[in-house]
Amino acid sequence: MRRLTESLRTPTGRRAITSIATMAVVALMTGPSGSATEPTAGPVGSYGERVSIFGLFAGPRWFLFLIFAAIMWGVWTLWLQRGTQLRSAASMALTVPKRGFALKPVRLVFYAALIAVGVVFPHVVTSQYWQSVMVEQIAVFVLLALGLNVVVGFAGLLDLGFVAFYAIGAYATAWVTGSLPTPAPFGVHLNPFFAIPVAIVLVMVAGILLGTPTLRLRGDYLAIVTLGFGEIITIFANNLYGITGGSYGSGGVTGKHGIPHFSINLGPIHYRWTLNPVPYYYLTLVFVIMFIVAFSLLEHSRVGRAWTAIREDEVAAESVGINPLKYKVMAFAIGAASAGFAGVVTAAQTIFIFPATFTLQVSINILALVIFGGMGSIAGVAVGAMVIQTASMYLLHTPPAGYQPADLYMYLGALLMVTMIFRPMGLIPSRRRRREITLAEAGEGHMNEVLTGENP
Amino acid sequence: MSGHGTGATVRDAIFVVEHVTLRFGGVVSLNDVSLTMERGEILAVIGPNGAGKTSLFNSLTGVYRPQEGTITFVGRDGARLSVIGKKAHRVSAAGVARTFQASRMFSALTAFENVKIGAESHRGIGVAGAMLRGPMTRRDERQSDRRTVELLHFVGLQERANAISSSLSYGDRRRLEIARGLATNPQVLLLDEPAAGTNPTEKRELATLIRKVRDEMGVSILLIEHDMKLVMSLAERLYVLNFGSVIAEGSPEEIRANPAVIDAYLGTTNTASEAS
Amino acid sequence: MGAFGHYLVSHFSTLRLEFWGLLVGGVANGLIYGMVAVGYTLVYGVLRLINFAHSEIVMTGGFTSYFVLRGVIGTSIPNGWATVGVLVVGMVAGGVSGAVMAMLVERVAYRPLRRRRAPQLAYLISAIGASYFLFNLAGKEFGRVLLSVPQPYINHPIFSIFGAPVQLYYLVIVIASVGMLILADQFVGRTRLGRGLRAVAQDSETASLMGVDVNRTIALTFALGGALGGIGGFLLGLGTGVVYTMGFVPALKAFTAAVLGGIGNLRGAMIGGILLGVVESLSIAFVQPAYIDVVAFGILVLVLLVRPTGILGERLGRAA
Repeated sequence: MRRLTESLRTPTGRRAITSIATMAVVALMTGPSGSATEPTAGPVGSYGERVSIFGLFAGPRWFLFLIFAAIMWGVWTLWLQRGTQLRSAASMALTVPKRGFALKPVRLVFYAALIAVGVVFPHVVTSQYWQSVMVEQIAVFVLLALGLNVVVGFAGLLDLGFVAFYAIGAYATAWVTGSLPTPAPFGVHLNPFFAIPVAIVLVMVAGILLGTPTLRLRGDYLAIVTLGFGEIITIFANNLYGITGGSYGSGGVTGKHGIPHFSINLGPIHYRWTLNPVPYYYLTLVFVIMFIVAFSLLEHSRVGRAWTAIREDEVAAESVGINPLKYKVMAFAIGAASAGFAGVVTAAQTIFIFPATFTLQVSINILALVIFGGMGSIAGVAVGAMVIQTASMYLLHTPPAGYQPADLYMYLGALLMVTMIFRPMGLIPSRRRRREITLAEAGEGHMNEVLTGENP
Repeated sequence: MSGHGTGATVRDAIFVVEHVTLRFGGVVSLNDVSLTMERGEILAVIGPNGAGKTSLFNSLTGVYRPQEGTITFVGRDGARLSVIGKKAHRVSAAGVARTFQASRMFSALTAFENVKIGAESHRGIGVAGAMLRGPMTRRDERQSDRRTVELLHFVGLQERANAISSSLSYGDRRRLEIARGLATNPQVLLLDEPAAGTNPTEKRELATLIRKVRDEMGVSILLIEHDMKLVMSLAERLYVLNFGSVIAEGSPEEIRANPAVIDAYLGTTNTASEAS
Repeated sequence: MGAFGHYLVSHFSTLRLEFWGLLVGGVANGLIYGMVAVGYTLVYGVLRLINFAHSEIVMTGGFTSYFVLRGVIGTSIPNGWATVGVLVVGMVAGGVSGAVMAMLVERVAYRPLRRRRAPQLAYLISAIGASYFLFNLAGKEFGRVLLSVPQPYINHPIFSIFGAPVQLYYLVIVIASVGMLILADQFVGRTRLGRGLRAVAQDSETASLMGVDVNRTIALTFALGGALGGIGGFLLGLGTGVVYTMGFVPALKAFTAAVLGGIGNLRGAMIGGILLGVVESLSIAFVQPAYIDVVAFGILVLVLLVRPTGILGERLGRAA
C-alpha cells in the first residue's frame, strides 16, 4: 500500500492521476444528462440505463475512458521527452510559408482567394439551415468577436457585458424602423440602412458613458461592472413593456409589425432583402471585410501602438504623454460600434428581437471566440469565431447522444480555461501578444502581474 | 549658467518646488522639500537609499500627489503649470520627460516603435484618420518616422532600430529610454539612475550622451544617480536628500566638502527605509 | 411634481408599515452575503484579484448539502436536538465541499498561470471559464430545475421585533453566519496559519524568504474562503432551494458587499454584507422586484466611483 502511494507521488504517478481525473471529467461532460434523482446518470454505462450512485464505476463507457486516460498519459510522457524537438521541427516547417507570407503580392493573392471563397460559399453550402446559420450565427458573431477583440485584445480590458452593445444596436434598429411599442423618433419609420448611423452613435455614446467612469478602475473591477451593465440592459429590455415590448420582444403584447428588411432605393436601383439568407450573407460579408480592414489599419496606427503601450506598461505610457483613460474609452466605443452593426443586421434579418437573444451567456460566448482565436489577432479572432460557431451549430443541428443545447456553455467555459492554461496566445497569435507572453514568462516587462510582490 | 546660488536669486527657473511634503499612510517620504532648477542646467539629486529621490521624481512628473506644498513647472514661453494634481500625461505634454529606475520599455515592441510612440503621443487621437488612412494621417506618420530615425541616430541606436526592445543590453535600453523621452519634445529630462547596471564604458558613453542632450537639444537635465564619479563629473549643481529632507545644496566641490553630507552617507543610512 | 410626491408618500408609508420585517430579512440576507464576501476578500488579500469562480463554490456547497440532507433525513422532519444535528451536518457538508472545490479551482485554474507569471487578464478569463464550466456541468448532471432542500425544521415565527415576526430560518442564518464569521476572524488573527496568510498578503516575497510556503498558504486561503462560501450556499439553499445558477446573483452581491466594506478587509466584508442586505431589502418598498438586482448593482458602481476603498478601507493583509 505504501509502495502504491509513493509511486503516485512521483511525476509519472501524478501524470497518471491527472490523466485519469481529466478523462473522468470528460466522461461526465460527454455522458447523458442526469437529474436530481439520478445525478450520476452521466458516467454510468449505456444511455438507457439508470443506476444508483453505486453503479458509478459500472458500464462500458468507463472502460473506454480508462483507455483514453492511458493514451493521454502516454502522449503526455512522450511530449515531455520529445516536445521541444517536435516544437522546433514544427516552427522549422512553418518558416517557409511565413517568409512567403511576408511578401506583399503573396499576401494580396491570399486575401483575394479568401474573399473568393467567401463569395462562392453559399453556392457550395445550399442547405437552408446552414445558410441562415452562416448569417445569424457565424458572420454576425465574427463581427461581434472583431469588436470585442479591440477591447480585450488591443486595449487589454475585460468587458463581460459586451452583449449590451449588441442589444442596444438591435433595439435601436427596431426603434428607428418603428417596430417597438414606443413610437419611432419624430414618427419617421426608416429603412434599416439608416438605422446603422443611429445605432452606431447610440452604442458609442453608451460605450463612452459606461467607460468614462469605469475605465479608471482596476481590471477585475471593470469586468464585474461591465458584467452588471450587461445584466441591467437585459433586465430593462425584459421589463420595460411599454418601450421594448418586455419579454414579448419587439412585437410587444399588442403584436406590432416586424422590423423591415434592408432595402436600397437609389435612382433606378431598387433592391429589397428578403427572408432568403444569401443576400443577407453577402451584406454581412461586406460589413465583416470592412471591419477587418478598418481594425487592421487601426492596429498598426498610432492608436494601436498607444493601446499596446498602455497594455504593457501604463505608467511608462503615461510618462510619454499618452492619456490612458482617453484611449481606453476609445477602445470601448470602437469595439461597441461593431457590436452595434451586428445588432442592426440581427434585427433586420430576424424581424423580431427578444431579450433572450442578449443574455450574459452571449457575452461569454463572444469572449470565448476572441480568446480561442487569439487575443489581439484579427485573423485569429475571425477564424476562431468561424470554427467555434460552426462547431456549436453543428452540435445543435445534429446533437450526439447525451448532448443538450445548454451544454455548449460548459464546453466554452472549459475552452476558456484550457486556452489560458496551455496556449494563452490563442489559435493564431498576434505577434505582439506572443512576445508579451513569452517575455512575461521570462520575467520581463511590467504587465499587471499577480503575486510578485511588486507594489507601486 | 552653472553654479548659481540658492533659489532666492533664480533668474530663469524651470522647476520651482516649495515646501513639498508627501506621505504614504504614516510614512513621510518627502518632508518640506524646497528646491529650484534652472533652465539649461544639469542638476543632480543624490542621497542614500530611501532618501526620497524617486518619490521626488514621481511628484515632479504627476505620478504621486504630495499632500502639501507647490510644484511649478515654467515653460519656455513663461507659462506656469502647477504640477500637483495634474495627471502624468498632462505633465508630459507640458514638456517634462523622464526615464525609470529599472528601465521600463514597451518590451514587446521594437526600439523604433518605442520611440515612435513618444514622437506621436502629443498629436490628437485620430481614430477616423487611422481607419481611413487619409493624406493627413500619412503625412503625420512620415513626420513621426523621420523624427524617430533622427532620435535613434542621436542616441546611437540606429543599427538596433528593429530589435525588440527587451533584447537590448542595459546600456542600450537606457539610451532607448532617453530617445523615447526626447521624442516627446521635452524642455526637461528627468533621469532616474541612468547608469544603474551599466559597465564603465557604457557609463562614459552615457555621460557624453547626457551632455549632448543638454548642449545640442537645449534640454535641461535632472538626474538621480548613485555613481558618485558620474554625478560629480556631470552635474553642475547638486541637492542632497536624506530622510525626505534637503540637507545640502551646492556645486560638486561644495557638496564634497559638506560635513552633513558625509554624515548622511556614512552614518544613518542603514536605518533608512526604502520609500521610493 | 404632485404625482412624484404621491409616489414618495405612498412608498414611505409602505416602508413604515413593513420596516422591521424588511430589516430582519435584510440583515439575514446580508449576513449570507457577508459570509460569501469573506471568500472574495481573503483571495483578494493574497492574490490581489477577484476570484470570479467563487459563485460556483457557493453552488457546490448548496448542492452537496442538498444531497447530504436528502440522504440523512429524506422526507421526514426532525425536531429538537435532531434538528440542530442535521443543520450542523448540512453546514459541514457545505463547508467541506466548498473548501475542496475552492482548492480545486485554485489548483486547476490559477496555479498554472501563477507559475507562468501570467498577466491579471489571464486569471480573470481562466476563472470565468472555470465558473461557466462548473455551473453548466452541474446543470447537466443534476438537471436544470430548482430543487427544494429537505427542511430540517418547520419554519415558523419564533419571536417578534416591534411586531415583525422573526422566522426560525432567519435565526439559523444569524447564528450560523455570525458564528462562522467570528471563527474566521479569529483564525486569521490568532493562529499560525492565519499569520502566514497575513504575511503573504502583505509581501509574498519576504514571506517566502521567511519560510512561509506561499503555495500552501494560497491553497489555505482558498479553502477558508471556500468553506464560508459553501456554508453560505447551504444557507441559501435552505431558504430558496438549489439550482445550477444559484451562485451567480448572490456572489455578485457578495462582491459588492466586499467592495462596500473595503476589499481585503475581513470585518469590512461582514459590515458591507449587512449594509447591502438591508438597503436592498428596504428598497423593495420603492421599486418593483424585477429591479432589485439593479439596486445592488447601482450601489456597487456608486461605491467604486465614489469611494473604491470602501467603508473601512482596504487593509490588505492587515485584516483583522
